[in-house]
Amino acid sequence: MRKFKYTVLTIVVSTFLTGIAICQETKNNLILGLGYFNDNNQMQYLKANTKTKVSGKFTQVPGVSLSFYISSVSPGNLLGKATTDDKGMAFILIPPAARDEWNKSPKQSFLVVSDSSKLYDAVTSSIDLVKARIRIDTAEDKKIIATLYELKDTVWVPVKGVDMRVAIKRLDGDLNVSEAPTYTTDSLGMISADFKQDGLPGDTAGNLILIAKVEDNDTYGNLSTEKTVPWGKVSKYVSNYNQRSLYGRRGWSPLWLEWMAYTIIAGVWVVLLYLFMQIRKLKQLGAQV
Amino acid sequence: MEILARQKIIRDLLPKKFGWKGKIWVAVLILICMIGIFAYIRQLSSGLIVTSMRDYASWGIYISNFVFFVAISLVGSLITAVLRLTNVHWSTPLTRIAEIIAVSAITFASIIIIVDMGRPDRFYNLFLHGRLQSPIIWDVIVITTYFFISLLLLYFPLLPDFNIMLQAKKEAGNRFNKMYAFLGSFWKNTPKQKKISRRSINILSITIIPVAFAIHTVTSWLFATTYRPGWDSTNFGAYFISGAFLVGAGAVLVAMYVFRRAYELEKYITIDNFDRMGKIVVMLALVYLYFNVNEFLVPAFKMKKTDADHLLGLFTGEYSGVFWFAISTSMFLPILILINRKGRKPFPAFIAGTLVVVGSWFKRYLIVTPTLLHPFLPMHDVPESYRHYFPSWEEWAIAAGSLAGMVLIITIFARIFPIIPIQETIEETEKHEKV
Repeated sequence: MRKFKYTVLTIVVSTFLTGIAICQETKNNLILGLGYFNDNNQMQYLKANTKTKVSGKFTQVPGVSLSFYISSVSPGNLLGKATTDDKGMAFILIPPAARDEWNKSPKQSFLVVSDSSKLYDAVTSSIDLVKARIRIDTAEDKKIIATLYELKDTVWVPVKGVDMRVAIKRLDGDLNVSEAPTYTTDSLGMISADFKQDGLPGDTAGNLILIAKVEDNDTYGNLSTEKTVPWGKVSKYVSNYNQRSLYGRRGWSPLWLEWMAYTIIAGVWVVLLYLFMQIRKLKQLGAQV
Repeated sequence: MEILARQKIIRDLLPKKFGWKGKIWVAVLILICMIGIFAYIRQLSSGLIVTSMRDYASWGIYISNFVFFVAISLVGSLITAVLRLTNVHWSTPLTRIAEIIAVSAITFASIIIIVDMGRPDRFYNLFLHGRLQSPIIWDVIVITTYFFISLLLLYFPLLPDFNIMLQAKKEAGNRFNKMYAFLGSFWKNTPKQKKISRRSINILSITIIPVAFAIHTVTSWLFATTYRPGWDSTNFGAYFISGAFLVGAGAVLVAMYVFRRAYELEKYITIDNFDRMGKIVVMLALVYLYFNVNEFLVPAFKMKKTDADHLLGLFTGEYSGVFWFAISTSMFLPILILINRKGRKPFPAFIAGTLVVVGSWFKRYLIVTPTLLHPFLPMHDVPESYRHYFPSWEEWAIAAGSLAGMVLIITIFARIFPIIPIQETIEETEKHEKV
């Protein structure tokens, strides 16, 4: 009897443990990525992305709650919380309250922690970076010079051997200034690019926005700096609202179309009116008989 | 002898009361119309959501029906105008059948386009605020014009017949005499009146041809001026006109057989009429086949990515059953039947005509809907119902109601007016006897 009890107990316990194991197995692995961005040496923000593997393919995970920290995971270092959108992305601006922590060292680390859920365990991801910035200048003959500096102790020093992109900011992306996709900084931390996009439409004053970028760099993150230059063509908005055209509004069709259409319509309807008059004439003739 | 012949022709061709079959036929048509009206009331009160039309398939069987009605109305110009101007006399018994088909079809083309509107109470805005650059406005103008020309072309040849019917009050019965008197009591058959009438009919015959071409070309431009796979074609105007001539001629074959049987008109709508009309249908089917080859094989030879989905859907995909049914019934089978002399006998010709009409309706459906379900940009984040189209019962009921309405107009017209021109038949018989 005792042997039977032990057997039953063993079966129950092993079933329970197996159940837990199965439940744990059904949780997917959440892959959490974190990126640091600095736009124009002013706006700093963190961007996290979440994905998981479904049927061998990576899929974005929306609706994951994330907590962003500076230096370490502690309530005092919390930068903010965000939830991933439909594309599995979430971002927060680094708040001014984090200034003291930021100023402590030339190097900085950021962390992001996902909340545990029914589908995913909590995951932490971090990045370590060296503070850096880009300076962009222009020279004669439409030459663009960009310099990358990093912070060493309290001094900004040029950085050699980093890939940088120089482009013109457009509405839906960036257009390279020349055929070269990227430039590598020299011993002075500088790159020099020639502007070869003459004739590009600018704003109403002919201004274009140049942008120098370091993208997805392991040491510096994502940095970008902009400069406005008058190298574009002056764009003048010409309203065609009051022009006659095939796509114009009512009453603004081309004259040739109006002339043709009204002539044809009038021609046919004059014939029809003539025929209606003939019916009247037939009635009069009938009345005379 | 002449008087006897004249009296017999009048007796044979005067409108007759419906027999029990006729009454059942009218009752069935009225019932279908009533169901259609009920469905339309539901659509009016609930909105277009009762249909299966959604963001992509925004034109469904209403517009297919519209194109079908416009197509079938072209027959008026074919039989009445073209054959009249070319001095062809064998078509005289068919002219009125063709004209009433044209008038009833164009009437329902106008009605069904309003049915397709979500807010028909705003229809008047089309006239008040329409843009001259829009093919929709061209269609409104040309349909209105064609309606009046067809009506006049129906009316002028009827004038001598009003006089005959008023004279034959006993045979014709008294029920419609007031109407005959109102419409044509002034006709006294004087030489001056005859001259004016003849000249007016000639003017109408000339005028209706370009207008008829315009009506169907403009209808084709509703599609062809839109950049979409399946519609982006310079061939569309000619393709539509050839198809319209075919379906109209097919409808005349059907109507010839039905009226011949129902009103015992074997002496007037002869086997020779079927033979000649059958030959015309074969020729028109071949012309339409030629345009179909141009319309489908040329893009299929190139198979541009955007066209490929649409074409493969027609040839082997979702619409292949309907596509091959429409091609076979509207062209191949009628040609095979009517190419033989035996096939041009009344009954086989009636079968061929029916095939043409049915196949042509489905052909219009294929022109309108599959294209809308193959947009250039892929469909993203839309409900499943947006990706497919199958008409709701309300759409079927309204479409069937409109078709029944068209047939009802023709049926009632044949009850009130002579379906074969009496005076013209008398004149031609007299001419024939003199010769």
